[in-house]
This record gives sequence, structure tokens and C-alpha cells, in this order.
Amino acid sequence: MNSVELESVSLWYGNVVAVNDVSMSLGPGVTGLLGPNGAGKTTVLHMMAGFLPPSRGTVTIGGATAWRNPEIYRKVGIVVEREAVPSFLTGYEFVLASARLQKLDDPVGAAQRAITLVEMNDAAGRKMDTYSKGMRQRTRVAAALVHEPDVLLLDEPFNGMDPRQRMHMMDLLHTMGEAGRTVLFSSHILEEVEQVSGTVQVIVAGRLAASGDFRTIRRLMTHRPHVFAIRSNDDRRLAVALLAEHSVAGVDVAATGLEVRASDYGAFTRALPKIAIREGVRVSQLRPSDESLESVFSYLVAQ
Amino acid sequence: MNMTIIQLTFRSLLGRKRALLLIPMPFILIGLTLIGRIAHPDATDWQQPIIIGLGFAVIVPVLSLIIGSSVIGSEIDDGTIVHILTKPLPRSEIVISKLLVAAGATGLVNGVMMFICGWLINGARMAIGLAAGGLVASICYCALFLALSVVSRRPVLIGLVYILLWEGLLTNLLTGTRSLSIAQFGVTIAARIGDQSYFVPTLSAAVAVIMSVVFVVVSTFIAIDRLRSLTMAGETS
Amino acid sequence: MMAGINAPNGAIHDIGYQRYRGERLGRSYIRKSLYAHGLRTAFGFGRSGKAKIFPWFVVGVLLLVAIIMVVIRSQTGLSPTTYVGFTSSTSLLPLLFLATSGPELVSRDLRSKVLPLYFSRPLGRSDYAFAKLAALISAAWLILAVPLTVMFAGAAFSLPAHKIWHEFTQYLQGLVGAAILAIVYSVVALLIASLLNRRMVAAAAIVAVFLVTSTVGNAISVLVGGDGDRIGRLLGPQPLVQALNQWLLLGDPKDFGNWGWIFTAVSAALVAACVALLSLRYRKVSA
Repeated sequence: MNSVELESVSLWYGNVVAVNDVSMSLGPGVTGLLGPNGAGKTTVLHMMAGFLPPSRGTVTIGGATAWRNPEIYRKVGIVVEREAVPSFLTGYEFVLASARLQKLDDPVGAAQRAITLVEMNDAAGRKMDTYSKGMRQRTRVAAALVHEPDVLLLDEPFNGMDPRQRMHMMDLLHTMGEAGRTVLFSSHILEEVEQVSGTVQVIVAGRLAASGDFRTIRRLMTHRPHVFAIRSNDDRRLAVALLAEHSVAGVDVAATGLEVRASDYGAFTRALPKIAIREGVRVSQLRPSDESLESVFSYLVAQ
Repeated sequence: MNMTIIQLTFRSLLGRKRALLLIPMPFILIGLTLIGRIAHPDATDWQQPIIIGLGFAVIVPVLSLIIGSSVIGSEIDDGTIVHILTKPLPRSEIVISKLLVAAGATGLVNGVMMFICGWLINGARMAIGLAAGGLVASICYCALFLALSVVSRRPVLIGLVYILLWEGLLTNLLTGTRSLSIAQFGVTIAARIGDQSYFVPTLSAAVAVIMSVVFVVVSTFIAIDRLRSLTMAGETS
Repeated sequence: MMAGINAPNGAIHDIGYQRYRGERLGRSYIRKSLYAHGLRTAFGFGRSGKAKIFPWFVVGVLLLVAIIMVVIRSQTGLSPTTYVGFTSSTSLLPLLFLATSGPELVSRDLRSKVLPLYFSRPLGRSDYAFAKLAALISAAWLILAVPLTVMFAGAAFSLPAHKIWHEFTQYLQGLVGAAILAIVYSVVALLIASLLNRRMVAAAAIVAVFLVTSTVGNAISVLVGGDGDRIGRLLGPQPLVQALNQWLLLGDPKDFGNWGWIFTAVSAALVAACVALLSLRYRKVSA
């Protein structure tokens, strides 16, 4: 079993509520834990990793409680945000030690496979205090993967990686997700989350603001007008006709085409073809221009 | 109990600059004993301030403090403990492995130092007695300071207060508390095995041994229990 | 003010930023501030509750001892210790205080690598070191001076008027003895702390150095006959200060004879050497 379940989890320190009644269920695939700094992402991750007990609610991995239960580490791999590694070890020794502590049958083989997976073969023989930040990060990921865990938790894993390393890591996470593992990574950088996973859990101020596919979330945000970019062979004529339509909240005419704000997504998408045919305008491009994660995110944060 | 942890802890111990602090101290004790041997062959005058005053009261505890608090304390401090805690290892295995390294290293250094001094004073029996006392004291101190480093974020300061105020001052003044002073255990064992004409033991051998075991067992239990609940502090600590 | 500058593809906007044209306080202000800040840090002010535990624990114990002395004296009319003796017999406590406060003053700056921030200001290298040293000495002296004052106040109330002057001179001697201890101990402690960037290791190192040197000195005193006793006292800050105070203030010169001058000279040399080393230590500061 490799699902991570949080049920009505809250955590408070004195008067400060860090996590407020969060419930989520993570299954196989990659999920992004998204939120501004200080929103509680790391706290939620730490609770899943068994580092913190929830003040209320339950945190279970594959049915077993995470807190005070070292056995869960057989199927969970964790990469924390804090970079500290024993600097006197070489990369290879570090991953090997991880394999040994996991009580694997073939620690040497597992360590080598993990190191190859993160492309650290060349530098594995050097001491870790000579590594760059990205190299250290990758080695820590290798150590977390060495026992082929069902669940992988990563806290801000792309910190300090250059674009090439980042792409590689994204591929890696994607592959793991496709293979049926449950991968959760936290980030406050929207592009990262957008590129790796469609599924997000958005945490804002300790509360779960939204979860699921971010495009679906966008559509659920009915209060905010959807913005479409339209190009046609007669923009102005189309614009005039659209303004008469009551699902249209506004139209901007620009050199690059029309920008239409629609208050009712469904009604607008049904109405547009009819209007175009009636006016004899040929629409060459219709693109939702704010279905990015950023717009979803800004909307949720602003709530 | 866990070879990997033992190896890792041992390597990390060797690599630290703190090791430099430790090298001069045993040599100073041996040197002084040597001087004493040459100047006053009859040791009854001077064994007290040197072997007990410097050896058992200062060098043995300070060495144990520096090593005992760093085997787990420094990893908690810099955050690398997370790599050990996120493994399916029973916490008792972790604590006992680290305790073995700390007690082994300190016991070895203190034991050899005391053995040599004992030999210089009065031959084999004294050597064995002092070495045994030094070893037992080292093990007790290491267990205590290891537990302190799991329980508190400033184990060295608390350890210093223990050494200076509790063992240095109070247990000398209030004789009833002598059974709670590790230094007394060490001295007692040294005296009972060695030659009692040199050191007058303050406790019975039974009390010393029993209390040593109690100290070690209780400290280790506390360390194991608290390690289970160790919460990861954030970046700002 | 500066008007906004416009160029074809960019513009600098005038958001009202102004250069500071007022008075700039000089080096002495910086020194005074560092001193005041150091003094506050030594007692844990301005930091969390945990930082206050150790210094105030020491203060509490010292005050307690002083109060006990006052009570004993008022009951029995005899004082178990003189003012100078008080300093000597409780010297473990100032040591503990210095072992925790010294590293608070300098080791923290080393650990968080803020020294380049300090020294890129109009602050001399030695200014930093001496301001911190002055703060530590003041703190160490204060934790002894206040209990001594309590003892004097307690005595003054129960003594007949003609004896008060004598008592007062004793009290002043006690203050001088405390100052000597504060100076010698603080210099050594701060030097050790400035070499280590972890507070706990520095604390252990300070205590280790003081304890080992004093027990070694003690051992030499016992082992080597004749002048060995005197030589033994030279070997560590603790026995040295004790001997110096004894000779200088407790007024039994025939006990030490000419050695008294040697104690003084060695103490002064130790202080001077440590101060020089301290200022040298901060000559080179890595980022």
C-alpha cells in the first residue's frame, strides 16, 4: 500500500496554528504541495515524514501512523530541505551507508543503482564537502531512493539546481510517479509544479485551499472571469458582437488580437461559435490565457 | 549493535577538531605522576591532588563530556541526525551503538592513562584498580552526557554545571549525596581493587557498582525514549 | 531632488530616495554601543529566556551565599569569610559565568560569520576586541561586587559606628580583589572563546583550561618542596589570582615574601599577553 492519508490534521504551537484542519489523500503519481513561504508546507511534510505529531487528526502512510514508527521508513524515502550531510563521507559512502541502514540485501548494488539514477557517478568518489549545492541535493535524493520506496517525500527538491539538473530531476520524479510510486514534493515556484505534475495540493496559511488537477481547479473558480485570447479575420466586428453577449464581461482590442473576459465559461464557449458564424467572422485562434497555475495560485492566495 | 552507525560515529569523532583538545590532558596527568614518582617515591602524600583532584575530578569527566556529548549532540545540532532517524532502525539500536563508541573511546583513553599512572605509583594492582575505576567512570559519564545531549540543546553547559557544582562542590560538602557522584564511583572502585592505603574509598564497592549500573541504565533509557520523540527543529534554532 | 531620467527603453524613477546627510556618530559611539550591547548579552538581556538561565543562576547562587554570610554574621557576630576570601572561595562561579558569557559575546559572531559586517564600519579591529573585553570584565566584576555590597550592607547595619570605617576598607579591598579576578579571568576566557566558533566547545575549553591548570598547579605545589608551592601557583589563572589577592590584600606579606612581586608581575604579563593575542586574533578576519 502506498497511499498517504491526512485526516483532519491540525498542528499548533501555543497560540500559533501552523496547520489547520487539513485532509488529503495522496495516491500513486506525482503531487505538488504548493504554497507561499510560511504557509505550512514543510510542517505538513514533516508530519507525513514522522518528524512531528499532529495536535489533532491522524497522519498515516499505508495505514500505519507516521509518528514514532521507524518501520514506515522501509517504504518511505525523505529528502529534507536542510542541506546538512556528514561532510567527511564521500557521496558513494553516504548512499551506501543509507543502503546499509535500510538493511538491504545488496547494499552495494542498490547504492550504485541509486547513484547512477541521479547521474552522480563521476563525483561519487569525492568527499561531500567538496560538492556544489546541486550535487549534494542529488546525492541526498539518491540516498532517499536507494531502498526503492513506495512513497517519496521531497521538501523543495529543486533548490540550488541548475536548469539541466532540474530537468533531469523532474524527469526522475515523473518516471517514479508513472511507475506507481506516490511522490510528493513541495515548492513555492509555480513553474516547477506546473511542469512536473498536474495534481496539486495548495496550502495557504495552514489551510488546504485547493486540491486536484489545477486546470479543473481553475474551472471551479467561477467568481473570477476567464480570459481568452482570440484572433480572427475581423477582430473589431467580433468584439462588438461579443459585447452584446451577456456571458462576456469585457473585451480588450489590442494589436495582437482580442482579449475577452468571460464571466461564465460554459455559456461563453457555447456562444462564441454561434456569434462567429452569424457575423461571418473566421476565428483563427482561441486560447484560454490564464489557465496557468500562476493565475490559479494568485486567486487562491488572495482569498 | 549496528555496525554502520558505529563506523559512522567513529569516523566523525576522529575528524573533529575537538580531538585536539583531548590530546594534552592524559599526557599532563601521566607527566605529573612521573614527576611525583621521581620526587616523592612514597605516593601517599601526593596521590590525592593528582590522581583524584586532577584525574578523576577533571580529566576523566571533561574528556567524557567532550566525547559523550558530541556523538549524538553534534549531529542533532547540525541536522545530520535526520539521515539516521529516517531509517527503520529501533531507536535503542541507535543510542546503544553511539554509546558504545563514546564509552569505548573515552574508556580506552582514560583507562590507559590511569593504568600507566597506577603502575607508576605502585605496580600492577594499582594499575588495574585505577584503570577499572577510570573505565567505569567513563562509561557512566558518557551515558549521562549522551542522554543530556538528546534531552537538551545545551548539554555541554549542563554537563559543566554537573561537574563543577555537583561533583566539584556539593557532593564533597554533603556526604549523603556521595552515592550520586560518578567520580566517587570511580574512586571507590579504584580503591577497592587497588590498594586502599592510597585512596580511601567513600562508598562500599556494592553501592558503587550498583549505582553505576543504575546511572547507565537510566540514562540510556531516557536517551532512547527522547530520541523517539525528537522533533526536527526548523532552520532557525 | 533628482528628477527622473528617461531614456528611450528605460527610465529611472524618482521614488524620493534621499541620501543621509545628517550627523554621523564616530568611533567612540560605536565602542560605547558595543560595550553596552556586550554587557547586556553577558546577562542574557535582549535574548530569549533560555539565554538568561545560566548567568542569572550564577548571580542567584552568589547572592545566596552572600545572604547566608550576612545571616551568620548577624547571629554569631563572626564572619566566616572576609570580603576577599569570598571572592576566592566562590571563584568557580565567576568561572562558570565567564564560560557561558564569554562565548556568547564572541563565538556567536564567529559562527554566524558576521565579522565582515562589523569591520566594514568605521570600527578599529582592536576596538571590537577591547569593547567586548571591557564588557566581559565589567560583567564578571558586577556579579561579585553586588554580593559583596550586600555583605557590607548587612554588616553595616549591625555594627557600631566606629567599626564601620574599618568594615568599609575591608569592603573596598574586596572590590579590588574582585576586580583583579575579573580582569585576569575574563582576559583568558575571552581569548579562548575567540578561537572557537561553537559556544559549547568554547565553554568546555575554558573550564578545562582553568581546571587543569589549577589542579596541575596544586599538584606541583604539593609535589615539589620548598618554592614549589609558589611555583605551583603561577601555573594557572585560578591559583595565581588567589595568591595575588592573598598577598596584596589579605595582608600577610611574610607568607609570600618577594614572591608577591613575582605574582604581580606574572599576572600583569598574563593580562598583557592575552590582550595582545586578542587584538592580533582579530587582525585577520575571513568572510
